[in-house]
Amino acid sequence: MAIVRGAAPELTTAAVLPDASGQSRGRAWRRYAPIGIGVMMALAMIVMAAGAPLIAPMSPSAQFADAVLKGPGAVERHALGTDEFGRDLLSRIIWGARVSLQVGLASVIFGFALGVPLGILAGVRGDWVETSIMRAADMLMAFPTLLLALIIVTGLGGSLANEILAIGVALTPNFVRLARSLALTIREQDYILAARALGGGQLRVMARHVFPNALYALVVVATLYIATAIRTEASLSFLGLGIPPPTPSWGNILSEGRQYIKCCPWITTFSGLAIMLAVLAFNLVGDALRDLLDPRLRGE
Amino acid sequence: MVQYLVRRLVIAVPMLLGAVSIVFFAMRILPGDPCVAMMGDQATTEALADCTRNLGLDRPLAVQYLDYLWRSVQFDFGTSLRQGYPVREYIARMFPHTLVLVVASAIVAALVGIPIGIVSALKRRSPMIDYPLRIFALLGLSMPVFWLGILLLIIFSLHLNLFPLIGGGDLDGVLGMIRSGEALSHPADFLAGVGDVLHHLTLPALALGFTLAATVSRLSRSAMLEVISQDYIRTARAKGQREWAVVYKHAFRNMMVPLLTIIGLFVAIALTGTVLTETVFTRPGLGKMLVDAIGARDYPLAQGAITVFTMIIITVNLVVDMLYAVVDPRITYK
Repeated sequence: MAIVRGAAPELTTAAVLPDASGQSRGRAWRRYAPIGIGVMMALAMIVMAAGAPLIAPMSPSAQFADAVLKGPGAVERHALGTDEFGRDLLSRIIWGARVSLQVGLASVIFGFALGVPLGILAGVRGDWVETSIMRAADMLMAFPTLLLALIIVTGLGGSLANEILAIGVALTPNFVRLARSLALTIREQDYILAARALGGGQLRVMARHVFPNALYALVVVATLYIATAIRTEASLSFLGLGIPPPTPSWGNILSEGRQYIKCCPWITTFSGLAIMLAVLAFNLVGDALRDLLDPRLRGE
Repeated sequence: MVQYLVRRLVIAVPMLLGAVSIVFFAMRILPGDPCVAMMGDQATTEALADCTRNLGLDRPLAVQYLDYLWRSVQFDFGTSLRQGYPVREYIARMFPHTLVLVVASAIVAALVGIPIGIVSALKRRSPMIDYPLRIFALLGLSMPVFWLGILLLIIFSLHLNLFPLIGGGDLDGVLGMIRSGEALSHPADFLAGVGDVLHHLTLPALALGFTLAATVSRLSRSAMLEVISQDYIRTARAKGQREWAVVYKHAFRNMMVPLLTIIGLFVAIALTGTVLTETVFTRPGLGKMLVDAIGARDYPLAQGAITVFTMIIITVNLVVDMLYAVVDPRITYK
């Protein structure tokens, strides 16, 4: 017995443990790498947007007559080249991050703030309140996000506030539906029954019990909707319906660069790459958060 | 099930009315006079009054609304302000171009997305297969279709000179030949026309198809993961069936049932995609028509295009829901 007892730890330390720790390191890497990469990319974007005046090498509207449509590195001071007015592309892309991030975050907050209370109310109350809220949401959901945002922006005109409003309204029915489905599950839980038995009013139950328990799933989906909002903003700007030039947004830089794809493909290439990386960052974070927080959805 | 189908049909009608109403009120109630938008600030008061009368905007809003609803039901969206002919005719001319693009993109998306989803599910958590394929799907989801379109244009049209830069080919001519029967009497001309259309269609369909493939692959993966954990798959394996037979005969066929539900979502994404794709490739179609109409402040045309888009999406969702109830009798309306 003593031999066996003595042998087991040796086996464990010499052969099993290193292998197991190697495997778990690999598993941990695979599990946390996407969220790590996503968070780093999203942070880089936030830093770029917030620190644009400090980070951008020059003003996004400064025009250099001696450097019109110059390629990356052709003129030393313009690392990513210049556009048709001789404006520095790198500076415009850095400043463009502000628009994308502002619209991305603010429109999701708008949709969340409007949609979640309505969805929870529908789920908890039921009856005609639920029917009317859900029918209205279904009606709005008949329009794809871009189409609905496009209709609103067409009526209101292209500006930062209008884009936020348009995309926020377009995202609202998604939050309503999700919040309602979560509320429907949560309202059947014993702790809700207990809260009601203790005399908690409907509003209190919704705010103190339903909302906090639905929050994590809502935050995960909100992260994914930031990606959708950024892509929608870029699409609106690309179609000429977003923030009008000369204010730089990634979509309008790309749209303006379209006329010069033959001679100067760097304008569309770099601005499009910025859009893709920003959308990818929030998609990575959202996907990874969902995997980590809700094992049932892992990898779906 | 009959009760479900009837109730689903009944619920689609107010939804359709509601969606059409949203389009109407968005165009009328939101700030900005369409006549001022069309004619500019410099237009005289008489000219603006004329325009308002011609558009029927001087009538009470309720009358305008009811009139619009009644005409929408008959697909009568008025006359295009810029083109000067009925919006219905314009839409009828553009619709086949968009339909062809959506169908071609759906083929690309299915051919690329479904196999990727299946392989990714069967090799779940394999670092060499599943992870790269999931990264591909994530990249596809994150890549804006207009950027991918421009990259394809730069590489294949400008540098390699393999595909045309703009246009959609003579689809009207091809359809005319089919209608008149010339397709059979002049097969060589017909095939040349079809070839030209396909030549113009390749890059737009690839751009839109690849971005759609990302969605399809993720959904196929989920559907496959769901199916391969079922008891009948274990039974098939226990019977000693070969893996390909298990996958093809049992898993693949059952996987297609849940995939049916995403056709509605797919059509919505694809139609949105056509707005951007047709703009990038300067292709005729409903999406390009909508963007041009908005740019030109041609409200009847824009209204007509948005209404048709919405009608298509609601109708497809309705048909899919009904099909799903037929395919899976466990579905009941609740």
